[in-house]
Amino acid sequence: MTKTAWAWVWFGFLLALDIAIPWFVLTHVEKVSAAFLFWTIWVLAAIASAFFIFLKWREVKP
Amino acid sequence: MSTTFWVWFGIGLYIAAGLGIALMARRQLGAGVSDFFLANRKLGGFISALSYSATTYSAFMMIGLVGLTYFTGVGALGFELTYLCGMFMMVFFLPRFWLVGKKYGYISPMELLSDRYQNRGVGATAAILALVFLVPYGAVQLMGVGLLMNGISGGAIPVVAGIIIAVVCAIAWSSIAGLRSVAWTDAFQALLMIGVSAAVLGVVINALGGFGSFFDKLESAVPGLLTVPTAGGSWNLNMFIGLALPWLFFLISNPQVSQRLFIPKSVTAMKQMLGGFLIFGFIYTLISVLWGFGATLLVPGLENADLATPNLLALPIIPMGLAIVVMIGITAAAISTIDSILLTLSSVWARDIHKGLINRKVSEKGELRVGQWVIPIMAIIAFLFALWVAEKPGLDFMIATLSSAASAGLLMAVPTIFGAFFWKRGTALGAMVSMIVGAIIVLVFQLTGCKPLGWWPGVWGFVVCLPLFVIVSLATRPPKEKAEEFIGYLKGALKKGRFI
Repeated sequence: MTKTAWAWVWFGFLLALDIAIPWFVLTHVEKVSAAFLFWTIWVLAAIASAFFIFLKWREVKP
Repeated sequence: MSTTFWVWFGIGLYIAAGLGIALMARRQLGAGVSDFFLANRKLGGFISALSYSATTYSAFMMIGLVGLTYFTGVGALGFELTYLCGMFMMVFFLPRFWLVGKKYGYISPMELLSDRYQNRGVGATAAILALVFLVPYGAVQLMGVGLLMNGISGGAIPVVAGIIIAVVCAIAWSSIAGLRSVAWTDAFQALLMIGVSAAVLGVVINALGGFGSFFDKLESAVPGLLTVPTAGGSWNLNMFIGLALPWLFFLISNPQVSQRLFIPKSVTAMKQMLGGFLIFGFIYTLISVLWGFGATLLVPGLENADLATPNLLALPIIPMGLAIVVMIGITAAAISTIDSILLTLSSVWARDIHKGLINRKVSEKGELRVGQWVIPIMAIIAFLFALWVAEKPGLDFMIATLSSAASAGLLMAVPTIFGAFFWKRGTALGAMVSMIVGAIIVLVFQLTGCKPLGWWPGVWGFVVCLPLFVIVSLATRPPKEKAEEFIGYLKGALKKGRFI
């Protein structure tokens, strides 16, 4: 698979977690350490992976 | 002196500072539509990041998202962070928009679509979609300012006065120097927004005994708000997907932000813009949601969730001076969004409707003049809509819901935008049919409140428009030569810059 395809798969995986964990794993867990903490860490993973990709970009003249 | 006096004084200072910055920006204004609408594609990374942040984050955050959290709990955090996660797609779209914007000289995202599909009707359809659905989005910004000023002044400043102030500032800042004045005032406003909101959060958390005590109190006082779905029925999966799906694609569906992908002056500026925005967005989202949770503890029992922020700021624990500065910060958030919307809509009207359909031979000067006239006209339409909405109570007219409803309509352009960059087989007819049918479904379902199977209007529209785009495209002839040239160019350029 190309890097682009891997990035799309990773993004799809993140979105699957977005639904699966809060609604199927943590549902009815009434704690700050449940959905609140999950979403905070989950988005940090998304942000970190975006940094991982775009920090490799280099200058081009279109 | 009375609170009302200090509120007016603060507003006066804010307007003076904003005007000063906008007039300074005007000194650098050059001639032509590219300079007015895109700052000649030469904005640095820092200003681009702050401007993108201020344009994206509006009154919706500090009023709408706070209210949504107050009313429905942690699902609001998931919904807003889903948007931020969607920003991951910037790694695909930012370099693509930027590269083709520079190469082909596009002014608006709609012009890109017209050129790529070799049909001006595609850009015009997307333009009409933007004009129809961005008006409610602009209106909720105005409504937010009106409600806030009214709340902070204890009713002394009427809602309509706040709305008028926001309209006048937005018109001024988008007209004075186009994107230069918008971007510079945005940068000032973004710093104001995040600085003052963090300060209030500090006061609220301190009043609740620190973070540990705050979280303990949440778990004991409102445990039902810490899970999804809530005991009250909010944030079932249909509601979450209905609100989050349009938000997920906000970065490409909303032209006032996708147009910003044309403006960084270099790849380094692009990286700074994206990185800066992701950090800003994460911090600002957490602050807004924590405000909402703080309000559930400190001002429980409100009937209108959009009043959570004004009531929180009116508490004795918040010093009056800070409350007024925060009010200005939220006003800044609203105005920085609506002036960007006005500027984008004016460029879309001038380039994609006036030049694209009405008068193809219009000069650049004439096109610019048309765009400048559209700014106050769109502002007045948004103003009238805001007046109408401000009188409507209930969930359907909460700021957060209305904002997402607006994005639901714009979502219908997403298959067309994806097709432009990734699918050579996409056609103009497929694009137009999918956008028109999808938008009609969203509008009808939105206006009638109809939710078959519990699915929200944006979801229904998307479920219909995506296959329509594919099927109609496969049944019609694509602009093969342009598709090969456009996507072929991108393939080479992306490789050179190590983009993916």
